Amino acid sequence: MLRSTSLLATKACRNTARRVFVRKISTSGQEQCDVVIVGGGPAGLALASALGSKQHTLGNIKIALVEAGDLSKVRKWTPEEGTFSNRVVSLTNESQAFLDSIGSWQYVEQSRTAPIEEMQVWDGVSDARIEFHSSELGLEHPEQGMARLTEVLNLQRGLLRHLQLIPEVQIIDQTKVTSITAESVDGGWPLVQLENGRVLRSRLLVGADGLNSPVRSFAKIPTYGWSYDRHAIVATMVHPAKSPLLGPNTTAFQRFLPTGPIAFLPLSPTVSSLVWSTTPELAAALKQTAPSVLARMINAAFRLPENSLTYIHSQILQAHQAGMPIQDAEIKGLIQWRESSCAIKENSAYSTAAFDTPEKLAGVPPDDAVLVPPMVTSIQPGTIASFPLRYNHAETYTGLNNRAVLVGDAAHTIHPLAGQGLNLGLGDVECLSRVIHNAVLRGGDIGSYTSLLPYSQERYLENHKIMSICDKLHKLYSTTFGPVVQLRTMGLEMLNEFDSIKAALMSIAGSSAPTRIRREGGSFHGEFGATALSLAATGFEGVTAAAATVQALTNLVRDRAKAQFDERGKGGNTL
Amino acid sequence: MFPTSLIRSTVNPAEIAHFSRLSALWWDEHGEFSFLHKMNPVRMQFIREKILEIARDEQPDLSGNNPDILNGLDVLDVGCGGGLLSESLARLGARTLGIDASESNVAIARHHSTLDPRLSQNLSYRHTPAESLLSEHKQFDVVCSMEVLEHVDNPALFLSTCAELLKPSGHLFLSTISRTPLAYLLTIFLAEKVLGKVADGTHTWSKYIKPSELIEFFHKYRSPSQHPEASRPWITRLYGDGVPTRTEAEVRGLVFNPLQAGWMLAPRGAWGATECNYIFWARKPALESALDSIKS
Repeated sequence: MLRSTSLLATKACRNTARRVFVRKISTSGQEQCDVVIVGGGPAGLALASALGSKQHTLGNIKIALVEAGDLSKVRKWTPEEGTFSNRVVSLTNESQAFLDSIGSWQYVEQSRTAPIEEMQVWDGVSDARIEFHSSELGLEHPEQGMARLTEVLNLQRGLLRHLQLIPEVQIIDQTKVTSITAESVDGGWPLVQLENGRVLRSRLLVGADGLNSPVRSFAKIPTYGWSYDRHAIVATMVHPAKSPLLGPNTTAFQRFLPTGPIAFLPLSPTVSSLVWSTTPELAAALKQTAPSVLARMINAAFRLPENSLTYIHSQILQAHQAGMPIQDAEIKGLIQWRESSCAIKENSAYSTAAFDTPEKLAGVPPDDAVLVPPMVTSIQPGTIASFPLRYNHAETYTGLNNRAVLVGDAAHTIHPLAGQGLNLGLGDVECLSRVIHNAVLRGGDIGSYTSLLPYSQERYLENHKIMSICDKLHKLYSTTFGPVVQLRTMGLEMLNEFDSIKAALMSIAGSSAPTRIRREGGSFHGEFGATALSLAATGFEGVTAAAATVQALTNLVRDRAKAQFDERGKGGNTL
Repeated sequence: MFPTSLIRSTVNPAEIAHFSRLSALWWDEHGEFSFLHKMNPVRMQFIREKILEIARDEQPDLSGNNPDILNGLDVLDVGCGGGLLSESLARLGARTLGIDASESNVAIARHHSTLDPRLSQNLSYRHTPAESLLSEHKQFDVVCSMEVLEHVDNPALFLSTCAELLKPSGHLFLSTISRTPLAYLLTIFLAEKVLGKVADGTHTWSKYIKPSELIEFFHKYRSPSQHPEASRPWITRLYGDGVPTRTEAEVRGLVFNPLQAGWMLAPRGAWGATECNYIFWARKPALESALDSIKS
């Protein structure tokens, strides 16, 4: 009452006054910013969009995003019809719901996204299989699938299109950060020096700057992790359209080979994306061969028994080491020979005979066609690439008194076997933008450790859980040790019988998200899923530990026996 | 008003010396005052939500979650310390004056506010006791005094000073600690003696004040007026268990959750929540109600 009129009057004055003030400061050489995001990848752009989508937050904080690369190229990206970039992400329903809630999803070209309605995952050694159908998971909208695949570029372009409508968010691209220093006074703010001479004085500095994050170094945040000694080969695969009897190309396939999983991710009726983690040597050798050799090897990797693959891989490596990349005809012969010796019938879906005669693929598909992906007939030119796989987790997400915070790959890098990397990053962004919004509402200093504390508290364990599950899965499936294979086979076959556990597994992977995004504050939804997966992870950990113990015991017994034998031998000599 | 001889009388010199020694630590979020840093967002949440709640009662057309509800209000922060609360209030657009009886606290608060360009607009500090503002006839829309009441010498006089620094219909917010065995255990025995999270000697149990005592005070308290018959007490009626009307006063517990290492605002009427730290709000009667009672 007493202030209703004065309030409105002063509000207008204050807003103009504030703007004038900011301008006045900027002439002194430093520009005052409330949030400086370093890195224009999907996580950085999503954070800028999320902060910009809340009117009140936008009105109270000044946001800048710095990116070394040229973002206008991404904004203008117009791929040729029917071709796809090789960097693909699987966005969980949770991530999609978040992008939708900040108003960015509508700018992501929907025709370049594809739903995953079914997943076929199997053990490369024992062939034990688990199947996920979105209709069985109790999802609110099963027709939308459990996740959606799209190119990273399509997502980035969508976020940039959205940001174009929020001019208050300053995007500074084609500009490197030359250094980040802290003001020398006690409690000073970070100063971000740009190569063009500008200096951004930043209340909150967000590191969305990837694995080798400069912001993380500035914040003196240690990180721990290891290299998997594996490389992921990515490529865009072309294949004939699936038979109408098999349904649309909306099934993702993943086979866990001892060298790493190989995944087939559908993008359109005739194009799918490859993510194949394997040894760095094999990745290098395959990249040197003709694309048709890679195509044949992809088909074989989903179909041939594990020991046949090991043999063919050794042949490829030998040829590579001899400096003579293996030829298409030789690979064709090797595969045919292994198929015939494994008694794979030519009319089975496991046969790759139709690679050279694709017209034979038409007609009624064989019974086992649902178990393997469509036959890859060629690789889209220029899409074969590979990158090393790492596990990395920063020890904390918020710097100590230095106003820095990490999101996305700067905070964590994981094995891509569950396609969760970017989803974890978007989870960070959702949480951080909510934490910032709440702090602004309560007059908090958004760069302060206290304001950011809920972010670390909510995200660190959440991320750690999923990261360790992916890590354990990788380790569990990288062994051919008999008892472990038997145990994991039994485990997977049992899991496959329980729809409720499968639904729980998927809910932590973010597929049941539309309800999850509605949570308030820091309360966790999908508690059951989390618990089930923690149990699963603990179980896996137990299995690996048991396997290690068994192996150690076997070694011990063998060593003892050998030692005794040697002892006896020595005794014989002295006699 | 009060005789000038009483000025400074609520300030305890020993307490001021204690906080002056600690003043350099105010903005160390991991040190001595980390508990206060963590409590600040919760106090701000209560202040904002309470003012919003009352404003909505009076203006039903007010938008749902008006984020600018504090914008343009005159706010006084009594015992501002290093300025933790004052800065937050100023960031929400309140014309904030922080006062403290310790000169070094005020110096720290002033220095810290210069780091943030958003604050210079509407935040100022003064080294003065609350009583001397009274003699300047200053009045505010909101008076806050957080974690101060348990350190003053004459709480009744301190409360009436805060009360008279408010404009009619103004909001008074106090946070303090109740005089209970639990409070002794947590705030003195655990925090000071065992864990050493808070400097030894920060708190004196006998100076703690119970929520019921604050309610009792404002149940009797009438602002000095030329027409004593025209003024009403701040709290006109109490329900069975001593609970005031939601529009006149409210007590809410501030509970520390050691698992989250953070404070939370206990729900209304939560059992046992006000046994230790709590926040109190009361509203000064409007002029109209005084006139109404004359008419009747």
